[in-house]
Amino acid sequence: MDLIRTEGQRMTAAQPSETTVGNMVRRVLKVIREEYGRLHGRSEESDQQESLHKLLTSGGLSEDFRTPYPSLRANVIEAINEMLIELEGTTDNIAMQALEHIHSNEVIMTIGYSRTVEAFLKEAARKRKFQVIVAECAPFCQGHEMAVRLSKENIETTVMSDAAIFAVMSRVNKVIIGTKTILANGALIAVSGTHTLALAAKHHSTPLIVCAPMFKLSPQFPNEEDSFHKFVSPQEVLPFTEGEILAKINVHCPVFDYVPPELITLFISNIGGNAPSYIYRLMSELYHPDDYEL
Amino acid sequence: MAARGTARRGAGAGSARGPDPQEEPPPPLQAVLVADSFNRRFFPISKDRPRALLPMANVAMIDYTLEFLTATGVEETFVFCCWKSAEIKEHLQKSKWCRHTSPNTVRFVTSDLYRSLGDVLRDVDAKSLVRSDFILVTGDVVSNFNISKALEEHKLRRKMEKNVSVMTMIFKESSPGHHARCKEDDIVIAMDSATNRVLHYQRTQGLKRFRFPMSLFQNSIENVEVRHDLLDCHISICSPQVAELFTDNFDYQTRDDFVRGLLVNEEVLGNQIHMHVMTEEYGAHICNLLMYEAVCSDIIRRWVYPLTPEMNFSDDKNQSYTHSKHNIYRGVDVSLGHGSVLEENVLIGQGTVIGSNCSITNSVIGQNCRIGDKVTLDGAVLWDRVHIADNVEIHHSVICDEAEVKEKVKLKPRCVLSSQVVVGPGITLSEGTVISLHPPDEEEEDDDQFSDDSGVNKEESKVKLKGYNKKDVGSEGRGYLWKADDKNEEDEEEQRQSLWGPALHSEEESESDSDLSMGSEEPDSRAASPQLDDIKVFQNEVLGTLQRGEEENISCDNLVLEINSLKYAYNIGLKEMMQVLSKVILEFPLQQLDANLDSQNYFSALLPLLKNWTPLFKNYIKRASDHLNALCAIEEFFLEHDSLCTSIAKVLMTFYQLEILEEDVILNWFSLRDTSDKGKQLRKNQRLQKFIQWLEEAEEESSDGDQD
Repeated sequence: MDLIRTEGQRMTAAQPSETTVGNMVRRVLKVIREEYGRLHGRSEESDQQESLHKLLTSGGLSEDFRTPYPSLRANVIEAINEMLIELEGTTDNIAMQALEHIHSNEVIMTIGYSRTVEAFLKEAARKRKFQVIVAECAPFCQGHEMAVRLSKENIETTVMSDAAIFAVMSRVNKVIIGTKTILANGALIAVSGTHTLALAAKHHSTPLIVCAPMFKLSPQFPNEEDSFHKFVSPQEVLPFTEGEILAKINVHCPVFDYVPPELITLFISNIGGNAPSYIYRLMSELYHPDDYEL
Repeated sequence: MAARGTARRGAGAGSARGPDPQEEPPPPLQAVLVADSFNRRFFPISKDRPRALLPMANVAMIDYTLEFLTATGVEETFVFCCWKSAEIKEHLQKSKWCRHTSPNTVRFVTSDLYRSLGDVLRDVDAKSLVRSDFILVTGDVVSNFNISKALEEHKLRRKMEKNVSVMTMIFKESSPGHHARCKEDDIVIAMDSATNRVLHYQRTQGLKRFRFPMSLFQNSIENVEVRHDLLDCHISICSPQVAELFTDNFDYQTRDDFVRGLLVNEEVLGNQIHMHVMTEEYGAHICNLLMYEAVCSDIIRRWVYPLTPEMNFSDDKNQSYTHSKHNIYRGVDVSLGHGSVLEENVLIGQGTVIGSNCSITNSVIGQNCRIGDKVTLDGAVLWDRVHIADNVEIHHSVICDEAEVKEKVKLKPRCVLSSQVVVGPGITLSEGTVISLHPPDEEEEDDDQFSDDSGVNKEESKVKLKGYNKKDVGSEGRGYLWKADDKNEEDEEEQRQSLWGPALHSEEESESDSDLSMGSEEPDSRAASPQLDDIKVFQNEVLGTLQRGEEENISCDNLVLEINSLKYAYNIGLKEMMQVLSKVILEFPLQQLDANLDSQNYFSALLPLLKNWTPLFKNYIKRASDHLNALCAIEEFFLEHDSLCTSIAKVLMTFYQLEILEEDVILNWFSLRDTSDKGKQLRKNQRLQKFIQWLEEAEEESSDGDQD
């Protein structure tokens, strides 16, 4: 376990903004704990955490993980395979729920390019007719790609600039977005421009739906906002060829935005729809508290 | 000086899987990394540390280069080292490049005999290290280019026209005033837009006017672009022929020589150089301190993403930084005193302690430094283990390893404190001061720069002899004021110039005044500059011959022989020879007369000469075109010497009478339509007109005579 932990630390240190890597490491650790626990003879229900009763009665439960079990390895590998299958099916799971959420003749807004949202909308488009407005998400303009893909499915798509988000919001029925990471308090780390979208949606009381598979849920809290940020080369914002002025100004190009949980209405994930305030519970099913801090 | 490394990179395992899968797998991409720059630009800093190991944002420069190469897919790198090779080797062996998991194998080739890039490439050829196309790069290149596209284009070009294209140079598009453009390295390039072929390459250093040979625009290429917005990154994709060409031409020392040589000999050898311009990504070559500072600040401001400090691409445990707002990077175990402010664009290395009430902006601080209270750092670059006492102000300076700055010192911009120097309390170092522990007069001998060991002994003995100048370094100081070496002077001057902001505006004054438009009168005979020199030399030789002929009364046959042999020696065409000959002869009396440029005198001096040398002329003027050439030359001569215009008629008359020139030709020439304005004016000369009239009458008479 320590080996996995060290490797996990190394991997997350390499690129802290890719939280999925850390999430998967934690899942694997949890799987190992479960399998060990099962073999060790404890029943499956024994959640070492959460239940207050258990916390009071069971005192200090310490797993020492020392006892070798020959079948532990095989069990762990099997569990990991199950996890892999589940991972592959997440997008389809989410897409299956599309019909419940999207009704005919609705105007849906989204931002940037998310494969999950794309699958979601495509699935709904098979049965229902609706329109989509895509905010282009400067400076990388991934919204364009999204619009192209959606229009191939014969969905009526409009691309607009980020500045027009608030102006158009009054005509929008729902906002559906994807995200990079879901934090432990239900907040989002999503592409730059999502916070604008969320605020505009809140102002017009438009529901904001986030489609994200569970592997994006990360047990970290947004303590240091800086640690999630990724600033890339300012080339996108102000190209290098501008010349002399570059020596006198500071140019930043952040990739991600922080969206607080109050602005989000619903999370749709492969295990169903949840409110943001429930995220902490979901976390306990996926990760073990000792692993929150790799 | 940095050692040279030649890194070979194998490449192309990915990119070559193109059209023909049945070909054998493409050879791995190789690279040649020259870790020595063969100049003393960075003295005295590079006396202690080779240039390739100078830290840019606390990471050695050669690491950036290797990272760039590895990211391109290079699989084998040859690092050529000369100066301080042991240090470079040690550094690289400890780094991640030499681990067995590294995708890029680094091999070292060390020799003390290298004196230039040319030597390295000759060695490459001699040892047959390179098997196919390779990337040639120097050890001080920082870039995040993705040159796979350029690589593919290069390979395609070589495949299409068998081995004609020898090298592809990589340039970055950047406007002239940009702070990352090195003034020394600036170039003007003329290229063919369709094929990206380089037609003309010129360094612009210090020049305000540029001359482009006419042949550039006269050949059949449709779109010629002349570009000044390119930054030379010193990255080239070379074919194996490059190494061979260096071996063939022993005087090629630098890449510039090579490029110019190839361009000049293009028709002969048929080799071409192409180029690739990068617009999006970052690339720069560190050639002087100003570039060093510029690129350091670019790295901190994340222009070279993903090679940013917090990425820790060199995988060094000491180098993990956290990135915060306003580009503040803090290493591990950094302690910041109360009230200290890190304003923006600051990188602080591991283990550094900063006192209270400091104000730090735009700076790079190395590891394990100790900075006192109330210190102001603005644009400072501090290396490792530097001690700075209280109340110090440092502006735009470089302070090397383990130097110490005592209290109340003020460093004005562009100071350099070399390693282990101590600057005493209370002094102010003026702009551009360089202080080093190595006494300055040591460095005259060239050998010193390449042999580490002998230098050390000499310095120690000299240090005992000299004390430290208190005025320079303060009462507790240690170090010598580095008297500007030639190079360091340039460094300072250029830094001053470019900091004062005049952008390169070389094109403004290139409007050619009509006075200097000699080019319009001298047509295609003077196509390329080497030929121009030849003609001048030939002219001098002919002049010499004729002078001797006159003094020693040599017979005309011998003169003809001499001139013929000169003609072959300098490879002069008949037409040019004719012109030169006429010009020389016509100018001959001028030398004898010098002060007195009067037509009469001139003519009287010229006449006997013409008479003597008639056989000469007759020998060379046989066909009509020769006559015409001679006449053109005469015309030019008289246009240049306006005062002698009046005697043109007499000269022509003489030529006619001596039967050197025939009437038809003269009349032909006279009636030439497309002459310049001055030519027309010449023709209006009265005497000339009279002469022409006389000629016409004479011709009519003779033609009448013939008919009978």
